Amino acid sequence: MKLIYRIALRLSLLLLPLMALWAALFYYAMVDEINDEADDALEDYSELIIVRMLAGRELPALNSGSNNNYSIVPVNEDYVKTHPRIHYRDAEVFIPEKEETEPARILTTIFQDREGHFYKLTVATPTFEKDDLFRAIFYWIIFLYLLLLLTVLGLTVWVFRRTMQPLYALLQWLDGYTPGRVAGPVPVDATIPEFHRLSVTTQQAVNRSEELFERQKQFIGNASHELQTPLAILGNRLEWLLDCGDLKEEQLGELVKMQRTLSHVVRLNRTLLLLTKIENGQFPESSEVDIAAIVSEQLPLYDEIYASRGIVQTMRIAGPLVVEMNESLATILVTNLLKNAYVHTAEQGHVEVSVHDRTLEVYNDGTAPLDADHIFERFYQGTKKEGSTGLGLALVSAVGRYYGLRVAYRFVEGRHCFTVVWP
Amino acid sequence: MKILIVEDEPSLREVMQRALQQEHYVVETAATYAEADARVAGYSYDCILLDIMLPDGNGLRLLEHIKQLRKRENVIIISARDSLEDKVLGLEQGADDYLPKPFHTAELLARIRSVLRRGRSGGDLTIDLGNVSLEPEGRRVQVGGAELPLLKKEFDILLYFMQRPNHLIDKSVLAEAVWGDHADQADNFHFVYAQIKNLRHKLSEAGATIEIRAVYGFGYKLVTTTADE
Repeated sequence: MKLIYRIALRLSLLLLPLMALWAALFYYAMVDEINDEADDALEDYSELIIVRMLAGRELPALNSGSNNNYSIVPVNEDYVKTHPRIHYRDAEVFIPEKEETEPARILTTIFQDREGHFYKLTVATPTFEKDDLFRAIFYWIIFLYLLLLLTVLGLTVWVFRRTMQPLYALLQWLDGYTPGRVAGPVPVDATIPEFHRLSVTTQQAVNRSEELFERQKQFIGNASHELQTPLAILGNRLEWLLDCGDLKEEQLGELVKMQRTLSHVVRLNRTLLLLTKIENGQFPESSEVDIAAIVSEQLPLYDEIYASRGIVQTMRIAGPLVVEMNESLATILVTNLLKNAYVHTAEQGHVEVSVHDRTLEVYNDGTAPLDADHIFERFYQGTKKEGSTGLGLALVSAVGRYYGLRVAYRFVEGRHCFTVVWP
Repeated sequence: MKILIVEDEPSLREVMQRALQQEHYVVETAATYAEADARVAGYSYDCILLDIMLPDGNGLRLLEHIKQLRKRENVIIISARDSLEDKVLGLEQGADDYLPKPFHTAELLARIRSVLRRGRSGGDLTIDLGNVSLEPEGRRVQVGGAELPLLKKEFDILLYFMQRPNHLIDKSVLAEAVWGDHADQADNFHFVYAQIKNLRHKLSEAGATIEIRAVYGFGYKLVTTTADE
């Protein structure tokens, strides 16, 4: 999950209980305040009634249009002892005018007249419907929650984007980074210390890996170069022995085998050098090369070389595929793919090469899919083939990287498929 | 024919010297740039085999020096660095050929012969052996003065053998030379055998005095039949 989404999700989850708590507090505060107001009014009203009654004056009409009503009931001393003098409560009261019950606030006051008789005065005033209030507050809370959420998230995203700009720049730079081909220095934002440190550390790591990469490349190159002279000596001595003439067949056979093993080493060494050269970009000159022409030139050659295997080949070429490449690298790309297909196809198998839409596809029969993650690595070989360098596909991949081609492997319907796409 | 080998590795120097002497060349050697420079200044050679990576200097500078002295030596550069720039630079500075290490003895001899032939006969590269004469440029072969038509592969094989007479040529080496870099990994060399069979047949039909002989199961050798008898 992207960082920004995670932050947004957490913010909204945190806001939910907070808003609920806030809503509950608000609700009770509201109810309290309203009751307080109603109680004040009831107190005034009952005081008015008591004063008028004690003064013997006319009591207010029962229905003065204000929905307030009252009743005075005489009570005995026992009742007085068991009930509080002043008591507030909420209740449902039947309003005769409306012919329905409504929630009301009720004040009960017990008072004594001059004769010492006790009376209970009950004053009621209709108040708000708590359910309504609760519902209203609930809806408003949801609305506010969503509004607040949108605002908070919007602001967060905006602020996040602005603040994290250097991080995104750094990530983008890292995405485009391939060892051995540095596009430029790591972007540095000096205003935020954390990002600055991140940039500096990244730059250090990149420098280190560049240095290692360079050293490794140089090592392979140097080692391969240094091997050339001893290999030449060994080969020439073997040839001298072979040309001697007075050797038995067995001895000659051994020598020829040694020579073939040596030529395998020579080829390995040469291929490693070639890889190093490709990675060093030492094939600058390029021209227009027709891949289809290379395929139709090379395929019959492999057909001839591997004729004893009885491999059936199909070539489907839609038309010329002209690309801008170094000619020998183009040949290396094509021949290694073809050779790979022929070498790893069982007898009477099928090899198919197709060229269309700036794509070269080489299919060959196989039994199980290969490890697509490692197949283009040096010396990765599923099954060891004698005489194979294990570098063919690494070469293909190196040429692909050099020209920014899409080189891919997949296994479809019992066939290995190697695809090269020119952008 | 006098040849100077400039090579700092003693073992390789020795092997090269021995191979050349076997071909009846007069061979002198130099291990360092200074030594080579002194020899080139004092004597003249038909061909110089020049390793360009010397402990005390670049072989290419020696090449420059040779050309400054207006000497007409043929120079074959031998380099462990099989790089195009070196090759182009060397050939631009007047080297006659460029041979990357590691090389086959037969290859070295073929290159020397080719360079000497070019120098001697003003560009005529025809190779004669027995009653067979082969023109690499024109891709023509004559046996006893009569034209022998050959297919492309047959011609390539014959050319390869004619440049390396009396040397045992391994089938895999021949396959690599004629069919290309990847042919040496074939399971078997039936395809080489098929072509050789046709070529042999054509040569004997035409009455050639050279013959491609199989050496056990390993390879072939081109021999002149008259010399054997």
